[in-house]
Amino acid sequence: MNWNLRPILVAIWRSPTGALLVALQVALALAVLVNAAGIVQQRVQKVGRPNGMDTPNQFVVAVSGFTREFDYTAMLATDLAWLRGLPGVVAASVTSAVPLLDSGSSAGIRNAPGLKAGRQANIFEMDEQGLAALGVRLVAGRAFSAEEILPPAQGNQALPQILLTRALARVLFPDGDALGRQVYDPLDRPITVTGIIEHMHGNWVDWDKLDHVAIVPRVPEGPQALYLVRTRAGERDALMRRVEEHMATSDPTRLLLWVRSMSSIERRAYLADRNLAIFLTAVTAALLLVAALGIFGLATYNVAARTRQIGTRRALGARRGDIVRHFLLESSLVTTAGATAGVALALAAGYWLSVTWQLPRPGLLHLSTGVAAVWIIGLLAAWQPARRAAAVPPAVATRTV
Amino acid sequence: MLDMQGISKIYRTDLIETHALRQFSLRVEAGDFVAVTGPSGSGKTTFMNIAGLLEDFDTGRYQLDGTDVSGLSDAVRSRLRNERIGFIFQSFNLIPELDIFDNVDVPLRYRGFSRRDRAERIASALDLVGLRSRMHHLPAQLSGGQQQRAAIARALAGDPGLLLADEPTGNVDSLMARQIMDLLEEINEMGTTIVLVTHDLELARRARRNVHIVDGQVSDFWSLEPPAPGLHAGLVPAMMAPA
Ligand SMILES: Nc1ncnc2c1ncn2[C@@H]1O[C@H](COP(=O)(O)OP(=O)(O)O)[C@@H](O)[C@H]1O
Ligand SMILES: [Mg+2]
Repeated sequence: MNWNLRPILVAIWRSPTGALLVALQVALALAVLVNAAGIVQQRVQKVGRPNGMDTPNQFVVAVSGFTREFDYTAMLATDLAWLRGLPGVVAASVTSAVPLLDSGSSAGIRNAPGLKAGRQANIFEMDEQGLAALGVRLVAGRAFSAEEILPPAQGNQALPQILLTRALARVLFPDGDALGRQVYDPLDRPITVTGIIEHMHGNWVDWDKLDHVAIVPRVPEGPQALYLVRTRAGERDALMRRVEEHMATSDPTRLLLWVRSMSSIERRAYLADRNLAIFLTAVTAALLLVAALGIFGLATYNVAARTRQIGTRRALGARRGDIVRHFLLESSLVTTAGATAGVALALAAGYWLSVTWQLPRPGLLHLSTGVAAVWIIGLLAAWQPARRAAAVPPAVATRTV
Repeated sequence: MLDMQGISKIYRTDLIETHALRQFSLRVEAGDFVAVTGPSGSGKTTFMNIAGLLEDFDTGRYQLDGTDVSGLSDAVRSRLRNERIGFIFQSFNLIPELDIFDNVDVPLRYRGFSRRDRAERIASALDLVGLRSRMHHLPAQLSGGQQQRAAIARALAGDPGLLLADEPTGNVDSLMARQIMDLLEEINEMGTTIVLVTHDLELARRARRNVHIVDGQVSDFWSLEPPAPGLHAGLVPAMMAPA
């Protein structure tokens, strides 16, 4: 088949301004598309990753004592007894931190005595209903019993036992089973691993060790307290309202600070990631639209400017399909030139982004998908003008002066 | 070669109907050289467009080389134009971005000839019009007469049986016009049938036959040789000797 490629290329070459501008738009759109796709994909994965909990059925209550008569221990006992007695509540625990809520503590856990540094772990202090309230799965060992819960830390109190997430257990004991083994606190006191949690997230969504979490059996220090409450499916919202009403007035020595669902905490935690993904998607879509309009505009202009030429080609024997092909081919050459420059630009931008911002470099898949997408968009954008060119009647050759 | 019987062509716009051709009948024999004259708006271009399969007609019958062309698909008409008809236009209609070689190449590419075949045909067509040395010039780098000769080369490169030229000398000076006419005569002598529309009566007189169109109808014609008997049934032409 004769594609008549050379004369089309020659014609573009002889008046290249419009084609160059459109190719530039295509290059820019492709470079942004390819790099944004990697970042958006990474953020979407991040936002969508499982946190191991029963998020839709959880909420958190924050209270704080504020008068001289305030009795922290008594408040905890009363509140927890009331919460656990509510119909629809599966479990409730006091906790030092809330997963995905950006405030908590970490400590270095050692897998042998005498080590200078340990493995950083996000530490949660919870009571015997902690695991049930989190809704996480225990893959080995057992949860804490009520008698094992220590009172709030006084100075540097020793801990007899600890629960580790499997991810943390693997880095501490790469050789095998962590259950029953000893870990050591910074003062080299041994702690027995009594349970392994399949998976859970800690406090900081941007931390690469987000799933390195350890739970210890201890009541956190007052006078602020966080209660993590897990409900039966579908009863969360009603229970949140009920808890809010009750706790606002039940104890005049403390304040109810807030009540928030776990879903909203999670949403807030990923807000920046979500916004970045939306922003990049919108910018990419806008650039692609501009490129498509450029291709459409160039093809439309070429068709309008060459009406007589089209009529002449028809008179000389071009079929309608030849004319359609002529303009699609011409447009594709511009797209291809733009895409070639775009790949180079994408690689350069990707290199710079990865060096400066540690962002993922675009892979071959992103590049080839991006080129294919730009190509298809180019063909679609040139389609209507090409059809219009094919509709130019051959008589135009003799009728137009 | 070309046989039109009772052709009418009506252009309809919102307000007016223009009867560009009415009961138009004409026969052109193979090898003939017919000059068509007539006042502006009389239907000369319409006749040429229908003859060259650029436009449809409303009623009548048109046989090109013995083939009835009414009802042919656009693709078939395109192929017939490509293979059997060469067009020469008043304003040359060369493609400005392409050099002369590529311009002559345009119909040959649609024809699907091999690259070597095309190169040979282009070279000999440009030889014929004396522009071989200019084949890598752009149209804008040539004079009007040269451009029209390039367009003639383009029309001839595919070896069409019929050459249709609508006022080919309208945009060139009289010296160039005579040269183009010389060239057309030469081409006709080699066997190509030519229909030429012109305003220049002096040029028209050099053709073998003259046809005068008035108001969409053949009003009269003369011929160097008497036409074969029975060829012009339906026409009552006044036979005129060349002046
Ligand atoms: N596309 C068209 N639409 C409407 N009227 C047309 C069209 N083309 C030609 N005509 C009219 O048809 C008549 C014949 O035109 P044409 O064949 O171009 O005449 P000529 O070539 O002899 O000057 C004229 O009156 C012209 O205005
Ligand atoms: Mg005319």
